[in-house]
Amino acid sequence: MKAQRRVRVFEWLVTLPSLVWLLVLFLIPTVLVFAITFKPATPYGGIGSGWTLETLRTLGNPNYPAIVWRTIWLSVVVTALCIVLATPMGYYMARISPRRRQMVLLLVILPFWTSFLVRIFAWKVLLHPEGLLKQLLVFLHLCTPDTSLLYNTFAVLLVMVYTELPFAILPIYAASEKFDFRLIEAAKDLGATSFRAFRAVFLPGIRVGLLTAFLMVFIPSLGSYVIPDIVGGPTSEMIGNKIAQRTFVDRNLPHAAGLSALLTLAVLIPMITITTLRRKESPKDALREEGV
Amino acid sequence: MKPSRVPMIVTWAVILFFYLPIVILVANSFNSSRFGGSWESTSLKWYIRLMQEDDIWHALQNTLFIALSATLVSMVLGTSAAFALHRFAGSRLQKLHYSIIYTPLVLPEILMGLSMLLFFVALKVQLGLVTIAIAHVTFCLSYVAMTVLARLQDFDFAIVEAAQDLGAGWWTTVWRVLLPMLAPGILAGGLLAFTLSIDDFVISFFVAGPGSTTLPIKIYSMIKYGAPPLINALSTILLVITFTCVIVSQYLTQQEPKAAK
Amino acid sequence: MSEFLEFQDVSKHYGDVKAVDHVSLTVKQGEFFSLLGPSGCGKTTLLRILAGFEQPDTGRVLLGGEDVTDLPPYERKVNTIFQSYALFPHLSVWDNIAFGLKVAKRPKKEIKEEVAKMLTLIQMEDQAWKKPDQISGGQKQRVAIARALVNKPRVLLLDEPLAALDLKLRQRMLIELDLIHDEVGITFLYVTHDQGEAMSLSDRIAVMKLGKIEQLGTPEEIYEAPRSSFVAAFIGDTNFFDGTVAEPLEKDSVLNGFLAAAVDKDYSRLKIEDFPDLECFNDKQIKEGERVFLSIRPEKMRISRERPATTPHLNIIAGTVEDVIYLGSQTKYWVRTGDYRISIIRQHSRFLLDEKPIRWHEEVWISWHADDGFMLEKYSAQDENLIQLPPEEVGENPPSLNGADLAGSATAQ
Repeated sequence: MKAQRRVRVFEWLVTLPSLVWLLVLFLIPTVLVFAITFKPATPYGGIGSGWTLETLRTLGNPNYPAIVWRTIWLSVVVTALCIVLATPMGYYMARISPRRRQMVLLLVILPFWTSFLVRIFAWKVLLHPEGLLKQLLVFLHLCTPDTSLLYNTFAVLLVMVYTELPFAILPIYAASEKFDFRLIEAAKDLGATSFRAFRAVFLPGIRVGLLTAFLMVFIPSLGSYVIPDIVGGPTSEMIGNKIAQRTFVDRNLPHAAGLSALLTLAVLIPMITITTLRRKESPKDALREEGV
Repeated sequence: MKPSRVPMIVTWAVILFFYLPIVILVANSFNSSRFGGSWESTSLKWYIRLMQEDDIWHALQNTLFIALSATLVSMVLGTSAAFALHRFAGSRLQKLHYSIIYTPLVLPEILMGLSMLLFFVALKVQLGLVTIAIAHVTFCLSYVAMTVLARLQDFDFAIVEAAQDLGAGWWTTVWRVLLPMLAPGILAGGLLAFTLSIDDFVISFFVAGPGSTTLPIKIYSMIKYGAPPLINALSTILLVITFTCVIVSQYLTQQEPKAAK
Repeated sequence: MSEFLEFQDVSKHYGDVKAVDHVSLTVKQGEFFSLLGPSGCGKTTLLRILAGFEQPDTGRVLLGGEDVTDLPPYERKVNTIFQSYALFPHLSVWDNIAFGLKVAKRPKKEIKEEVAKMLTLIQMEDQAWKKPDQISGGQKQRVAIARALVNKPRVLLLDEPLAALDLKLRQRMLIELDLIHDEVGITFLYVTHDQGEAMSLSDRIAVMKLGKIEQLGTPEEIYEAPRSSFVAAFIGDTNFFDGTVAEPLEKDSVLNGFLAAAVDKDYSRLKIEDFPDLECFNDKQIKEGERVFLSIRPEKMRISRERPATTPHLNIIAGTVEDVIYLGSQTKYWVRTGDYRISIIRQHSRFLLDEKPIRWHEEVWISWHADDGFMLEKYSAQDENLIQLPPEEVGENPPSLNGADLAGSATAQ
């Protein structure tokens, strides 16, 4: 019994540093966002005293439903495109020789490690009205000289897929690598076509990877801010842009908090759904096995 | 039956898609024209101009200070967290612990940025390098914990018992067995934390104060308000540094013998 | 040999599961002692309690008369060979072996000498600077042994040390373990689920089931005179018969071997359905009308086409061959007689092609001497599942051998 208490103390000892840090600097601030939604703003950009429903009322602004809707559909399309591209990649990477796989993996990881801003900026250069791509498209008569490739929803979508794709590839590849490819042979042996085997055997086999990829792409997409800010225009603003505007331009912190609270709720729903789904996939056996 | 070529074509097309803008960016940095549409002449003029920008050097110093301190603190906190999560897996405390470590990984950065700004404002803390470093530790911690935890998953706990069985007390076990064995995982986590911290823009932007401009914040304002050719040059330098680091670390981890099974 | 290691009334439970249930046990100095049982029987828990990795709920553990129950693992003079070997992957073979001595802060010179001695014992002097992932499974095993033995433990604990090796290597390491035990002469406590390993290595075996010791004895005692149906079926193969004692037979003086001394032997006639006239040696003095369960090993039975000549105390029954498996050195037969499927093993000591082999569906005679049947003290129908029988139809579920099923049977009794 004494030894057991010692183990409990030890558990708390190694848990407390990170737990306290995150409680104070992550959980409390998140709860604070909800609280400050009900605080008045001061003219100097601070937070007033007392409680008000003013922010909730301004959230009814007729501009917002369009922005919320755009945020959601852009995130859905980005996630779908990322998963559609990443799945054949995961399949391919899991099937090639380890040497080649190492190389392809490195090529996929490299952009992931490079500066986020640099990658967005690279697209800005490429899509720029005087940039290479535009001139090529005009030369091929695919667009007129007045078409803008930049500062529109298409540019936002393209760059979001570009930056989020590695987050879809890595979990799908990890799941594909563990997949037993003899199952595909078995399916073909039983008369399935390659595509049928891919759909009916491979996709269910990498379900956990697909769910993780969905989570890793969809949720950060909902909170996108820098991409629409740099390559988007007024017609491609997302919730993130509004939060930043309220924080840095209008300096109305309660309003920014209100939008953040909304976004937090929007993020928590898919997150909790997916985590419960995933937990059902692989229930962890908590009990320690005895003497096997 | 011939295997389908679609996966291969998609893979290489995506890789092309990944590198196309980067290659053009690097090429442009040697172009004396302001935009890549026309090639005036090959020159290093943007690099020379870059060297004269004192702001950039100052921002780089800030970034490195933040990255180093955030990495060190998050390595300590993250390693201890990973150890707790692994050793006591299944206990109610660790379930809570896991959720609170996992959530920052998926939450959009802007939410973390704003919530921390509100927190510091509410506590009337002066914004600056320290608040940025604190914010960075908060998200780096989770990455370090997850990296070390992944290492611990294939860690045979009998090894800890073996050390105790051979007479090693708790400290000896930690110093002579546990830490040396986990060192690659902790270093990998630290490297990830360092890179993320250096690269972070959104969170830093929210909790930055006067005089605490970091390199990403500087780059952002350059992108937003002019000087594109300078960023071409700066970006190229950053790309060369990260590519070298990643390739070297990949090479190192491949050299390292795989864990005994 | 003295009583050296002692478990006194030791219990340990995890939640509702009793892993070790009031076990008392003594091991003698220098003995090779095995704990044998199916997974979940508590054998590993008992070993971990001795090593200090688990605290017992009740009971004491004594080592050389000293109570070590409350000592942490690093203060006990015992060392363990782990199932996974648990070699330190970041240390060389030499550093692995030296670990215990370094921790104990022994002088450098002494460490060098002791490690060198160990490397010679395991014949790996030339591999001292290799890392664990650069050596083979058998070599890892030897390093694990050396790493433990160099500390001169009073007891060496071995937790399924051969389980991770392939069959050929396992047989080789079995002999090496035996040689090492002879050479160093310290007490070995060996945990295994493999009856072959336990039988071939041990001085004594404790067969465990559901946290309790089912039977303790030498390998020969356990094989020849199992107390329960569990021991009989878990160790080797057997046939069970269920019946009652019909009548005691008159005492019979037989000549016991070359000593030529007359020994009185009790035989009883048994009443078993389908077999009216079976006899069995009744050393337990079971009275008329009482129920008995009989265990007869397959190799003690004879199978023949012709009815064997009747001699005193020879049991003879008729049956039909249902399955034949030829294994080279021996053939296994399963013979149907009434409700029973009896398994018989015939060793081939002569050139087989000279005779006409017994085939499926043949009518045959089975015979055995009354001395070769053994009356069990404890019987549980569940244990029949431990006997390997060929399936009678395609898709028949094999009986499972795990602890949960055994637990089910125990509560059903």
